[in-house]
Amino acid sequence: MKRKGWLVACIAVAALAFSGSHAFADVIRIGCASPFTGALAPYGDNVKAGVSMMVEEVNAKGGINGSMIEVVYMDELCDPKEAATVSASIARDDTIVGVVGHLCSSAHLAALPTYVRHGIPVISPTATSVTISDQNRDRKGLVWAFRDVYRDDFQGMFLARYAVEKLGLKRIAVFYENNDYGIGLKDAFEKKAKELGVEIVGEEAYVKGTPDFTPQLTKLKAAGPDGLFISGYYNEGALIADQARKVGLDVLKFGADGFDNEDYLKLAKDAAEGTYLTVPFLASEAGPAAQEFMTKYRERFGREVDYMSANAYDAAGILLRAIEQAGPDRAKIREYMASMDTPEKGYAGVSGLTYFDANGDAQKPAFVKMVKGGKFVPAEQLK
Amino acid sequence: MLEQFLAQLVNGLTLGVIYALIAVGYTMVYGVIELINFAHGEIYMLGAFLCVTFISALGIPFYPAIALAMLCCAAFGILLDIVAYRPLRKAPRLAALITAIGMSIFLQNLAMVIWGSRPKPFAQEAVPAYLKLTAVDVAGVHLTWLQVFIFAVTIGMMGGLYLTITRTRIGTAMRALAQNKTAAALMGINVNFVISFTFALGSAMGAVAGVLVSVYYNTLSPTMGYVAGVKAFAAAVLGGIGSVPGAMLGGVVLGVAEALGAGYVSSLYRDGVAYAVLIAVILFRPSGLLGRAVIDKA
Repeated sequence: MKRKGWLVACIAVAALAFSGSHAFADVIRIGCASPFTGALAPYGDNVKAGVSMMVEEVNAKGGINGSMIEVVYMDELCDPKEAATVSASIARDDTIVGVVGHLCSSAHLAALPTYVRHGIPVISPTATSVTISDQNRDRKGLVWAFRDVYRDDFQGMFLARYAVEKLGLKRIAVFYENNDYGIGLKDAFEKKAKELGVEIVGEEAYVKGTPDFTPQLTKLKAAGPDGLFISGYYNEGALIADQARKVGLDVLKFGADGFDNEDYLKLAKDAAEGTYLTVPFLASEAGPAAQEFMTKYRERFGREVDYMSANAYDAAGILLRAIEQAGPDRAKIREYMASMDTPEKGYAGVSGLTYFDANGDAQKPAFVKMVKGGKFVPAEQLK
Repeated sequence: MLEQFLAQLVNGLTLGVIYALIAVGYTMVYGVIELINFAHGEIYMLGAFLCVTFISALGIPFYPAIALAMLCCAAFGILLDIVAYRPLRKAPRLAALITAIGMSIFLQNLAMVIWGSRPKPFAQEAVPAYLKLTAVDVAGVHLTWLQVFIFAVTIGMMGGLYLTITRTRIGTAMRALAQNKTAAALMGINVNFVISFTFALGSAMGAVAGVLVSVYYNTLSPTMGYVAGVKAFAAAVLGGIGSVPGAMLGGVVLGVAEALGAGYVSSLYRDGVAYAVLIAVILFRPSGLLGRAVIDKA
């Protein structure tokens, strides 16, 4: 009896698997690797919001040549070790044709070797580290990793120029997060700022996770700066802004795209007033398609669009267009993306026109916004 | 120079008393059942979230909301013990330790499911306005009433805890349990009740710490318990694990070491300085600052 039961079960499973394989032939799978749990889950959530909106829109229009798109969300906690594991499991899964990710530069760098070795096209919406451009080629010199965001060096230099030319700062204190993003940005900023004749009066670091920054801020205050550059993300940025005021460091604050989220305003409250930040996506400068996207986003998620979501939406769009044009084949997708190297062949997304240079880097403009009356408003732009 | 030093001292003390409040929870549980309750940091986090939920969803005023959060966390501490640790009371200590780590991860993710992963601001509108005003501003010492409140609450709770442990029947029972569980049971002490009481007390104090931190920094997130837990654990070890006054002293020493380390050595070595102090103390006083050298029963 028992044996017969087993046989029936086996046949049932086989039948299911068979019918399954038929059903799944109509599905194209892409990966999306970002931190979805852990301390950085909020950022991963921003990316997921953008990717899921793009994929749903494509699926609602009937998918790509009749195939539905399925996203496999892979959680890597923004941890380089986890990212390496995730990339390996993507490499093993032949059904995944391309990846949107990773969010953090550190995680992206750890995952890159696997993508390059196994030939998996990947596009990051947010990883800005300069090093990525040197490590995204295979032995034949083909670029496998693309990104839909500017690089730290560009942004850092841009910020330095802005601080000097528009904000008129002379003595700047720097507070940076001790990771690839914070350090890369800070280095580029300081180099350019010194060239422009600014004095860097103090430089302090912090490690993600601690809620208390008062010792470092007290020390920076003693150096008497007229501006505070915070090279990090909005969670800590908000705490730093708030605590800077508490220790009596009332100077002009500015940061980079890591600050771009409504939560910065909610957490820092009044202390956020007058903060300047660079962003790759500015609502007021965006076209009608972006305005529509922003309305939909607001309805769907109940919050304003941040640049991570906008970039992720476009990154997914670029990958899906490549799949549409080249077919669901990893090598062909890469080839198509690499061929998007002129404005004419670029992708017009909500964050502007995207096309890649020889390193797979998008040439994106930077915009500046500021906090005024508890809201982000466009600031004077640098020409 | 002096001004900066005093400011750093205040920074360190504020941080330190909060570490102390969490550390007593660790140390009491360890004192009684020799378990390092790694899920204690999550109870601290739950305290903060419950308080905010009571304020924003139920419209309860600030102080009653804290009291209610304390009560809920006390109950939750007891539940945690019953669900996760009581079944393992006779198992090797390592099993309970691993369960504690498991509970910590579980609770963190549970909070993420319930409240979302984004950091939230504290419900500032419910915080009494006077707490935000400056109390002292002399010679670089800038204290808000909130900081004074944090010091006062901590000192008050510590005093109350000390009296509970030394002057009440249940406190005597706790101390008896810490000496020898079997003998205490033979003397007619309801062991499980005393352990539950210990968890409740430690959890309630952890909840207060969670609320104070989230008001002070105006942020709370499901992962806030992890770092705080590790620091408080270090504080408990520094003071001598199992010793309540030790946990208080350890917390303050750790907080001040961190602030001075970040202020005078290097901000990157902030945690490094704190842990270097810990290591130095353990090297030269293996039982911690106020711990007694115990002869292991085994």
